Amino acid sequence: MRDIDKRYDAVVACRGASLQVQPGEVRALLGSNGSGKSTMVKILAGTVKPNGGQILIDGRPVTINSGEDARRLGIGTAFQDLSLIPTMTVIDNILLGNEPMGRWGMVDRRQSFADVEALLDRFQIGCDPEAYVQTLMPSLQSMVEVAKAVYLKPRLLLLDEVTAALHRDEVQLLFDVLRELKAQGTAIIYVTHRMHETFEICDTATIMRSGATVADVKTDEVTLDEIVYHMTGRQPEAEEAHDGGRIDHGKGDLVLEVEHIALYPKVRDISLRAYKGEIVGIGGLEGQGQPEFIRALLGVMRHNDGVIRYLGQEVDFHSPADAVNHNIGFISGERNREAMFPNRSVSENIFAGRAARGRLFTYLAPKVVRDFAKAAVEEYNIVVGSLKHPANSLSGGNQQKLAVARWLAMNPTLLLLDDPTKGVDIHSRREIHRILRQCADEGMTVMISSSENEELLEIADRIYVFYEGRVSGMLAGTNKTPERLAAAIMGMKRDQNGVAREAVGA
Amino acid sequence: MIDVKRALSRFRRSPAFAGFTLFVFVLILNVVVQGPGQFFSSRSLNTLFSKNMPLILTTLALSPLLIAGTLDISIGIQLALVNVVSIMVAQEWGVSLYIGFLMGLLASLTVSAVCWYLVSILRLPSILASYALIYVVRGVNVLIMDKPQGQVPAVFYKTYDSLIGGFLPFSALMLVLVFAIWAYLMRTKFGRNIYAVGGNPRNAFAAGINPAWVQFQAFMVKGFIAALAGIALTLMTASGNPLQAEAYGLRALSACIIGGLGFGGWGSMSSAFFGAGFLVLIQNTVYYFFNFLYRIIPGFTVTSYWQNLVSDVIIFLGLLMTIVTAKEQREALKQGFVEQFKGGERDDK
Amino acid sequence: MTSELEGRMTWSQRVQVFIQSSPARMAVIISILLFAITVAINPRSLNLSALGSIILLTLLLSFASAGQTMVLIGAGLDFTVGAVMSSAAILTTYLMNGQNGTFLMVFALAMAMGAAIGFLNGVCCVKIDLPPMIVTMAISNVVTRMQYVLTQGYPSGYASPNFINSVISRIGGFLPSLSLYAVVLFPLVFFLLNRSRYGKQLYLTGNNPTAAQLTGIKTNRVRILMYVFSAMLSAFAGMLGAAYMSTARCQIFDEYAFNSLVAVIVGGTAFEGGIGSYTGSIAGALLMTVLSNGLTVLALSQPLRNIVQGVVMVLLLIMYNRARAVRQ
Repeated sequence: MRDIDKRYDAVVACRGASLQVQPGEVRALLGSNGSGKSTMVKILAGTVKPNGGQILIDGRPVTINSGEDARRLGIGTAFQDLSLIPTMTVIDNILLGNEPMGRWGMVDRRQSFADVEALLDRFQIGCDPEAYVQTLMPSLQSMVEVAKAVYLKPRLLLLDEVTAALHRDEVQLLFDVLRELKAQGTAIIYVTHRMHETFEICDTATIMRSGATVADVKTDEVTLDEIVYHMTGRQPEAEEAHDGGRIDHGKGDLVLEVEHIALYPKVRDISLRAYKGEIVGIGGLEGQGQPEFIRALLGVMRHNDGVIRYLGQEVDFHSPADAVNHNIGFISGERNREAMFPNRSVSENIFAGRAARGRLFTYLAPKVVRDFAKAAVEEYNIVVGSLKHPANSLSGGNQQKLAVARWLAMNPTLLLLDDPTKGVDIHSRREIHRILRQCADEGMTVMISSSENEELLEIADRIYVFYEGRVSGMLAGTNKTPERLAAAIMGMKRDQNGVAREAVGA
Repeated sequence: MIDVKRALSRFRRSPAFAGFTLFVFVLILNVVVQGPGQFFSSRSLNTLFSKNMPLILTTLALSPLLIAGTLDISIGIQLALVNVVSIMVAQEWGVSLYIGFLMGLLASLTVSAVCWYLVSILRLPSILASYALIYVVRGVNVLIMDKPQGQVPAVFYKTYDSLIGGFLPFSALMLVLVFAIWAYLMRTKFGRNIYAVGGNPRNAFAAGINPAWVQFQAFMVKGFIAALAGIALTLMTASGNPLQAEAYGLRALSACIIGGLGFGGWGSMSSAFFGAGFLVLIQNTVYYFFNFLYRIIPGFTVTSYWQNLVSDVIIFLGLLMTIVTAKEQREALKQGFVEQFKGGERDDK
Repeated sequence: MTSELEGRMTWSQRVQVFIQSSPARMAVIISILLFAITVAINPRSLNLSALGSIILLTLLLSFASAGQTMVLIGAGLDFTVGAVMSSAAILTTYLMNGQNGTFLMVFALAMAMGAAIGFLNGVCCVKIDLPPMIVTMAISNVVTRMQYVLTQGYPSGYASPNFINSVISRIGGFLPSLSLYAVVLFPLVFFLLNRSRYGKQLYLTGNNPTAAQLTGIKTNRVRILMYVFSAMLSAFAGMLGAAYMSTARCQIFDEYAFNSLVAVIVGGTAFEGGIGSYTGSIAGALLMTVLSNGLTVLALSQPLRNIVQGVVMVLLLIMYNRARAVRQ
C-alpha cells in the first residue's frame, strides 16, 4: 500500500500511509487511538475505499471495492467484531459464499466436510460443527472467525485484534497455525495492541501515528520503549511494579468509590475513587473497557461483580433514570446514537434534561423552554442559526456543547463523560474543557474518559489508565506526565531489573 | 454413519424444537379430549387436513420471508386472488381449471414481485407496505369477481376430499410436495443465503451475497406456496369468493412465531409446520372441549362467537410467548460469557 | 436543508423540499385542489349541506386520529383504533338505550374501557419484541371478537336524543355541532403534545429512544401512557360516532384503524417517530375526507376505492421514506 489517503468529512484517518509485506512474513501493524491502522485494514478488506494512493499486489495495481474483490485477490480477513452470522452454524459460516456445488444445483457439503473438520481440528475447536455460532463462548467464536479466514487459503491474511477474547493457550494455538501458514508462504498482517504478542510472533512491525506511517522495524532489533515511543511520540516511563497506583487521594469528600467492578466481557476488575471538585480522567487504548465501565456506573448495564458506593451509600442503579434521579449526568461521545435528538429543535434538545424530571402534566409554557435554552446558548457560546432549528443542523462541536449545556443546567453532583470531544473542532473542545474546569471548581465531580492523551493531561487532576479491563496505573501529581501515560496505556510496568515490560495479565 | 445421540442433541438445539414440543403437547391434548378412536379415524384425520390445508400452507409460505428478514401480511388476501383468478379464468375463457390454477399461480407470483419491489428495493417498512397491499389486492379481487360465484367440477373437489388407499388424505400430498421442494431448496446455495441475509445482512453482503436478489427468490418461493394454498382453498370451498381468507395473514404470522421462527435468520419450515399444527389442533381441541361441556352441563350452549374469541385469544397468547423465548435466548448468551470468564479460565490471559 | 444550499438546487429538489418541509400545508393544498376538481366534475356537489358533511366527517376522523398521532410520534402504532371505536359505540348505544341524562355515566365507562385496552396495548408493545402493528392487530382482533360474544352479533340500543343532537345538528344551517366537541378536544390534545412535560418526553422518546433513556426519561412509562391516551381518545371518538350513526353494529368503525394511520402520515407525522403534529393530522383527515368524497362523486366502485386507498398509502410511504441501504 502506497501513499494511502482517507478522510471522513473533516477527520483525516490516513495521510500518505504505506505498508508492505512479503510472502512468509508476519508483520505487526501497530498504533494507538486514531493512528489509522484500523482504516488501513478496512481498506484492504474492501469495506472502505481510499481517497488516494495505490494498492499493489505482486507489483500490479489493484482496486478493492468489496469483500468479494478482496477474496478474489486472495485476501482473508478476521475481525475482532466478528463477520460471522450468529444464527447460522459453524460449518455454514465457514463455507458461506464458497459452498462446494454438487449435482442439480445442490450444495454438497460432504465434499468439504473433511476439509472443515480438519480445519477445526487444527484450531482445536472442539465444538460440534453444526452448533450455532451464537451459542458458543466468545473465545470460540473468535477462533471460528480466524478459521473462516484461513479456510480460503489466502495469500494475505489480515488479523485485526483477534486475540482480544482468547485464552492464553488459545493464543499459542493460533500462533502455531500462523507459523505453519508462514512456512507455506502466506503473508500475514497482525494488528494488535499487545506488545508481547508482537515480539513473539511477528518478524517486522509497521507503526502508525496520526494517520501516517512513522516507523518500519524488525522486531528482534527494537525495544519496547522504542515501539511505544513511535506509537505515542513520547519516551515511555513505566511505574515501579510494586507501585500499582494505589494512592487515591483527592482533596474534597469522597463522592464515588468503586471496588472490583466486573462487567463481562470487557471490564475485569476496576477499582477507583472520585472526590468532590476534581476532574478524574480515564485513559487507555480504545476498547479496554472504558465505555462499559461508565455505563455500569450509569445503570445502563448491570455489573456482574463488585460494589459501587455513591455518596457513601451502596447503589445498584437499574436504569439511567435511576442514576439521573441521584443527580448523575452523562454525556456521550456517540452524539448521534446517544445524545442528540436530531429532528427536535435546539431548545428542546437543551431542555431535555429538565423535561425528564418533574411532574408530567403541569402546564409548560414555551417561554420557559425558550428562556432556558437562550440562557444556555449564551453561557456556553453555542453557535446556532435559531433556537427553532433542528439539532442536526448544528456542527459536531456545537452539538456537543448542547449536550453539555443540557446536563450542566441540571447541576449534577457527578458528571460522567464518555469520549465527549471525539470529532469535535479544537475551539469547541477548548470551550468544553473550560466549562468542565469551572464546574469542578464549583464543586462538581467530573469523570471523563478519553482516547486522547493530551486532553487527559490537560484537564484531569488524576488519571486512571485502563488496560484489558483493569487499571494499569493511576497518575496524579508529579506522576502525571506524558511519558508515564504512554507507558500505562500500553500496560507497561518496570520489573525488578528496571526493564520495562508489558504487564501480561496483571 | 448416523450417530443417534448426536442427531438428537442437534435437534434439541435447533430452532424447530420449541415448536415441536408445543405441537406434541397440543396433539396429546387433542387426542385426549376428542378420544383416540375418534381422532385417529381416517375420516376425522382427513377433515383435519383438508379443512386446514390452506392455513397450513399459508404458514409454510410465510416462513422463507421471515427467515430472509421480511414479511408480507397481505398473503391472506392473496389466497382469495388465486381463488378468483382460477375460477374466473376457467369460467370466462372456457378452459380447464388446470389452466385457471396456472393463471392463479402467475397472479400470486406477480403480487409477490410487487411486494418484493416495495420492501427490498424501495425499502418501505414491510408491515405498512404489505398492509397497504391488502387494500389493493382486495380491490383487484372484486374487480375480477364482483360477488361470490363459480363452481369447481366435482372431480376436483372430490379428489381433494378423498383418501388415497383408504388412509392418506389427498390434501396431505400438497404438504408433502411443499416439503420436498423446500428440502431441495435448503440444500442449494439459496438455502444458505437466505439465513445469512436474514441473520446479518451486512455480513452477508460482505461475504458476497446480494440481499435483494436473495429476498426476491424468497418472495418467489412464497408466491408459489401461497398459490398452492389458494388452490387448496378453491378445492376446499369448491367456489369463488373475492373477500375471503384475509385473516389468514395474521394467523399465519402468529403460527410462525409460535413455531419458533424469528424475524430474520432463525427458524425453518418445520417450525412453521409445527406452529400451524399447534394452531389447528388447539382450535380442534377447543371445539371438542366445548362439545364435551355441552354433554356434561345441561343447557350449556356456546355460539361460534365464543370459539372465534378463543381462537383469537390463543393467537394473541402465542405472540406473547416470544417474551419467554427471547428471554431464554438472552440468558443463554449471558451464560456463555459468564462461563468463559468465571468457570472457563484455565490460566489468566 | 439549510438556506445556503437552496441556491444550488434543481427544480425537482425544490419541489421535494416544499413537499417534505410542511406536509400539513401540502395536505391542505391538495385538499383544496381535489375539492375543486370534484366540484368541476359535479357542480351540484357544491352546497352547504355537503360542505357541512365534509366538516363533520373530517372532525370525526380527526378525533379518531388524535390518539394515533400521539402513538406515531412516540414511534409506535395503534391498530386498535377501529376496534376500540366500534366497542365504544356499541357500549354507548347499549347503555344509553335512548335515554337522556346518561351521558356522564357512559362517558366514564367508555374512558375506563379505553384505558384498560390502552394499558394492555402499551404493556404488550413494550414487553413483546414484535412490531407494535402486529401486537395491536392481534389485540384488535380479540376486542372485536368480544363485541360479537357480548352482543351475540346483534348490538341493541340507541344513543340518547340529546347526545345525537349535540353531534349532528347544524349551526347556521351547515356547521355541525360536533365542532363544539372539537373546542374541548383539540386544545386538550394540543396541551398534551405541546404544553406538557409528557409531550416533550414523547417527542424525545420517539426521536431517539436511546438518548431519551440516557437523559433519564422513563421511556417505558411514556410509551404505555401514549397507548392509554390513544385508546381513551378512540373510545371518545367511538361515542361520538355512535351519536352520528344513532345505532351501532359490530365492527362499525373498523376502517378507522387504517384511515387514521393514513391521515396521520399524510399530515407529516413520520412512521419512525419523533416528528409530527396534531394540526398535520387534522389536515390529513381533511384530505382523506375530501378524497373519499371525491371518489363518491366520481361514483367510483368500492373495489376501485380500495385500490386507491392502498396506492395512496404506498405513495405516502415512498414520499416520506427514510430507510438506508445495507451497503452504507
